[in-house]
Parts: sequence; C-alpha cells; structure tokens
Amino acid sequence: MSKVFVLLMLLSFSCRAEDVKALLKEADAFRLTAETLRVDTEVRVFKGEQPDKTRLYAVYVKPDRRSLVVFRSPSERGQKMLMLGDDFWLVLPSSQRPLRITPMQKLLGDASTGDIASLTWAEDYDGRVVGEATVGGKPCLKLDIAGQRKGVSYPRIVLYLAKSDRRPMAAELYVASDKLAKEAEFRFGQVDGRTVVTQMILTDRIQRERRTEVHYLARTPKTLSDEYYNPAFLVRADINQ
Amino acid sequence: MRFWFLLLFLSGTVFGGENPVDLNYKIHAVGENREARDDSVFALGLPLTSFGKDRGRLEGEVRGRAGPFSLQATGTVSEQEGSQPSSRALVNQAYFDFGEGAIRGSAGKKILSYDVGYGFRPLDFLQREARLLVLPPALEGVNSVALERFSAERAVGLIVANPGNGREPDPKDDGSAAARYYQRAGSTDLHATARYSERFRLEAGAAFSAVPHESLELHGSALYQQRSERTVPTTSGNLLDPANALQTDTLKSAAKALAGFTWTLESGWSLLGEAWYDESAPGANDWQRLAAQARARNALALVPGVPAAAVAGSLAASTRMFQLPSLSRRAALARIAWTDQGAHGWSASLDALRSLDDGGYTVTAAIAWESDKLRLDAGVRTFGGRPESAFGLLPERGLVFVGATFSF
Repeated sequence: MSKVFVLLMLLSFSCRAEDVKALLKEADAFRLTAETLRVDTEVRVFKGEQPDKTRLYAVYVKPDRRSLVVFRSPSERGQKMLMLGDDFWLVLPSSQRPLRITPMQKLLGDASTGDIASLTWAEDYDGRVVGEATVGGKPCLKLDIAGQRKGVSYPRIVLYLAKSDRRPMAAELYVASDKLAKEAEFRFGQVDGRTVVTQMILTDRIQRERRTEVHYLARTPKTLSDEYYNPAFLVRADINQ
Repeated sequence: MRFWFLLLFLSGTVFGGENPVDLNYKIHAVGENREARDDSVFALGLPLTSFGKDRGRLEGEVRGRAGPFSLQATGTVSEQEGSQPSSRALVNQAYFDFGEGAIRGSAGKKILSYDVGYGFRPLDFLQREARLLVLPPALEGVNSVALERFSAERAVGLIVANPGNGREPDPKDDGSAAARYYQRAGSTDLHATARYSERFRLEAGAAFSAVPHESLELHGSALYQQRSERTVPTTSGNLLDPANALQTDTLKSAAKALAGFTWTLESGWSLLGEAWYDESAPGANDWQRLAAQARARNALALVPGVPAAAVAGSLAASTRMFQLPSLSRRAALARIAWTDQGAHGWSASLDALRSLDDGGYTVTAAIAWESDKLRLDAGVRTFGGRPESAFGLLPERGLVFVGATFSF
C-alpha cells in the first residue's frame, strides 16, 4: 500500500514538474519570440527617481543557452560577453583577449549582464506552483522555481504568471544566500501583432534607491554561425556593432 | 594618419552597408605626482632620467570600424617636469579582416595580447603588453598577418608577426612565426602556443583557465624558451661608460610560469592571487651588484679628474634596469577589489606585489567612479622593501595619480 502511495506521489510530482516546464515555456514566448535572434536592449539605471545611466547592448541569442552580448554604449564600446550554458567570457577592448569569468563575476556591475542575456526560464529552472495571487489586477499562478544549473543569475525565483495567457507579470529574484535581491515587473506591447515583453523593471531590494529599466527595443531574426560563439573568436571585430 | 582615416571612410562607403562607419571617441587625461627617493644611490644621475618627475598627458582616441577595416588611433600631448611639452600621433591598430565561415584572417597592425594571467603573462610574447602600469596608454598593435580556423569549441591560428623583420633592437619588433591553439573542455579553457624567432629560437607554452566553482577561477601558464636574454649590470671594469652600464646576457634556455586564482563574492568583493617565476628576470644578486656599482660610481665622482657628467650619465644609464618587464625572478601578487553593487558607480582596489627574491614590494591603492560617459580614477602607489631589493632601490618612493576619461 505504502509503495503505491509513494509511486502515486512521485507520478504526481513528475506531472507537476512537467506542468511547470510547460508554463515556463509559455512564459518564455513573451520574452524570446524566436529561438535565434538579435535583441537590441537599452538599460536605464535610476538613482531614486533620477536617471543615472543609460547603456545599450545587442544580445545575440541562440539555442542551447548561448548568448553573445555586445556592449554598444560609448564608455563600454568594444566589450563583449559570451555565455555558453554555465560558462562565461568577457573581452575588454583595452586588452583584446577573452577572459573566463565566474558566474559570480557576471553578476557584478551596474546592470547585471545576466539580466540582459538570459531571456528564458524553461531551460534553466524547475519548480512547482505554490499558489495564486493577483498582480496588476490579473489573477496569476505563483510559481517557486529553482535554478537547475550553477550559472544561473538567480538560484531561486518566485514567478507570477497570468492565469489567462501565462504572460509573466512579476518575479522575485533571490541570490545564492536566498536573500531577495530584486523584484521584476514586466510591461507589454504589440510587435508584429504579437504581445511581447517590451520592458522589464527591476527594483533592487538590497540597494533600495536603485531601479533598473530594461527596454527591449527591437527583436530581429539573426543567426550568427557557431564560430561567433567560440571564445577565441570574440577578439575579432567581425560582429557588426 | 590622414591616409588611414581616408581609407576608413572609403572602405565604409564601399563595404559598410547599413552601418557604413562606426566610430567612437575617448579623451583621456592623466596626471602623476612622483616622489623621488632623495637618498637614492642613483641621485646624481636622476636629473637625466624621468624618475621623480611629475608628468601629465592628454590622449585623444578614435576607434572605428567600416566593413572589414578597423582603426584605432591616438594623439597624445605629454608634459614632464623640466621638459618641453611633446606630442605624438600614433596608429595603434589598422587592419583588415577577411575570410568567411570557419576560416578567418586579418592583416595589418593589430593588438595580439595573449595568456590568462593578470600580473604576469609568460605567453604574451607577441604583444609584450606591459603589466601593472597605472592608467596605461592605449596599446600599440603588432604588424601581422594571421590565418585562423574556428569551430564551436576549438581555434587554430597561424600568425606571422612583423613580416620581413629579423632580430631588431626591440624584441617587440622582431620578425617571428607563431601558432596558437585553443580548446574549450567543459568549464576549462586550454591554450597552447609556439613561436619561432631569431632571437629566442623556439618558444613553446601552454595555459589554462578553469571555473570549478561559481565564485572561483583558477589559471596557470608556462613557457619554455630555447634561448632567452637577461639584462644585468655590466661585468666590464669600466663603470663610466653609459652605453655599457647594463649588458644583455644570452641564456641557453629559460622557463617562465604563473599560477593564480580569482575569488568573487556576491557582495562585490573579489580577491586575486598570483605567483610567478621568470628565469629571464634579474635576480637578487643582480640588484645588489647594481647598487654596489652605483656606490662605486658615486665614489668615482670624488676622484679628481673624473668628469661629474660621466658619473651622472652612467648612473642614469644603469637605472634603465628598472624599466625591465620583470624586476624579480619570483614574485607574488594579491589584489583585493570592490565593485559597488549600488547605483553609485564606485570601485576600488588594493594591490600588493612582493618580490620573493629580494624582499621588495609595491602597494597600489586605487579608486574609480564611473558615470554614463565619464570615468574618474585616482590612486597612490608606493615602493619599498629591503634597501638592496629592486623596489627598495627604485629611485622613487611612490606616486599619486589621477585620471579622467570621457567617452562619446
């Protein structure tokens, strides 16, 4: 009897995990409109209500958790960051050599490049539905998901997905110490007749006066060939900035 | 210089397509207040050197790309205490990229920095980037032709540096042929390289960089040289000949090696530790000999008939030993850095370099603030240690530096 109960529990858990993966995939579709594309991103950092910095990035995304971030602001021009799964590299224009960096180093700086380069949850996270809540007037499912890989920017996320279409409404982002680091709020627009996330607003819960707006300016179908995702290739200038 | 700009614009028109010319600019101002070591054994020669003299420079940089052509050029106005201002224009990089798909190449003047270390890079034998300078000027590339083959996880490259050159006065200008190999193996990068030049014959080495933990990066590299050079104080009896104050000995072979790590915390603090060995660097006995010779030269100044200018000239010439890329055969570096995780744009670092041969050290504390387009740097560096160590003998006690960079 007890074996049957355990089996049923396992099956139930397995179905629930699968459901969460499906929910995350539906939510991802509001951020990443194709498997391979270039996302032009503007990051505006606010100190209190005062705009402090604006940064521009071109993010080239490819399946299998491959992202190449090309820094386009005048003060950062020439920098590139490559993410291949849990591995990360940085190229600085002054030295022109790819530096392997740790997942923790990826998080440092004004606007974490992880916030910009990571556009999906389904590949990296798994978890369970823990309840329901209303966010922005919309009934939402509340998911508690945990990173399945060491390279994720936030090991734990509490994610609110609209019950109606599974769009991400809000997220609570936790760092390794399980401290709430940021709260994310998503805003939507119509692009080519499709509802997509056009803004992600990150409110810092550790540095309370800090707010970051990530604006997704354009999503363009663009496929870079595999060699562009080789760290040794990063020092080449072939990427059209 | 005008030729390169014309070429950049023309190539942008021909090749550029939707983004014909992509240029960005930097203005970089640096000031250094240097404190001379008044009791230095080289004191009589210091007026002929730049040691202990305040200096400043204003550097304008344009960096751009048009189609396959890349350019980086700088114009610098410099002033040093006691000297007239000087200016220079330099094309730091100017090269064409060619090839498609897995086979790529480049030809022209290009930065070829290499290796995995921070304080010392044994495998950086093409670019020879000076390490641990405060607010360094933009690097100058190497004339080269390179052909590379890339796959998703591997790269193989052949580089001919300074084609047509043989053994030149500056090793950076030597003609050479080099091969580079890169392999990604999970969370580890593996590098291997070899080079042939008339001066050093065959040099071969390997390096790795690995991330075994989300906060920890480990790296190491090693180089074997079939032949090497070491600059040491003269062994001739004539101490008053400035042209022969130092001599370069040929070594039958030499080895260089580095091991290090970086540890980064969620709070924005990071720690770097490195230790290295450079067989081509002068040893503790070489610095002691330099000090002994300086004392002997000072004694000669008291001898009737010995021209003071000859003593000053030879003392000044002997201080060129402080300009070597490595001042110590065995050294260790610790660097603690902090990056503000708030919206304030601050960062700070504290570096301590210790010579394990002779007990000398240098400590650098720096702070920086960065906004949208402006970066400000300030810091202080001090040299010390045992009186006859390289850093203890250095004719400067330290310096204070400030810098401002405006990007647009």
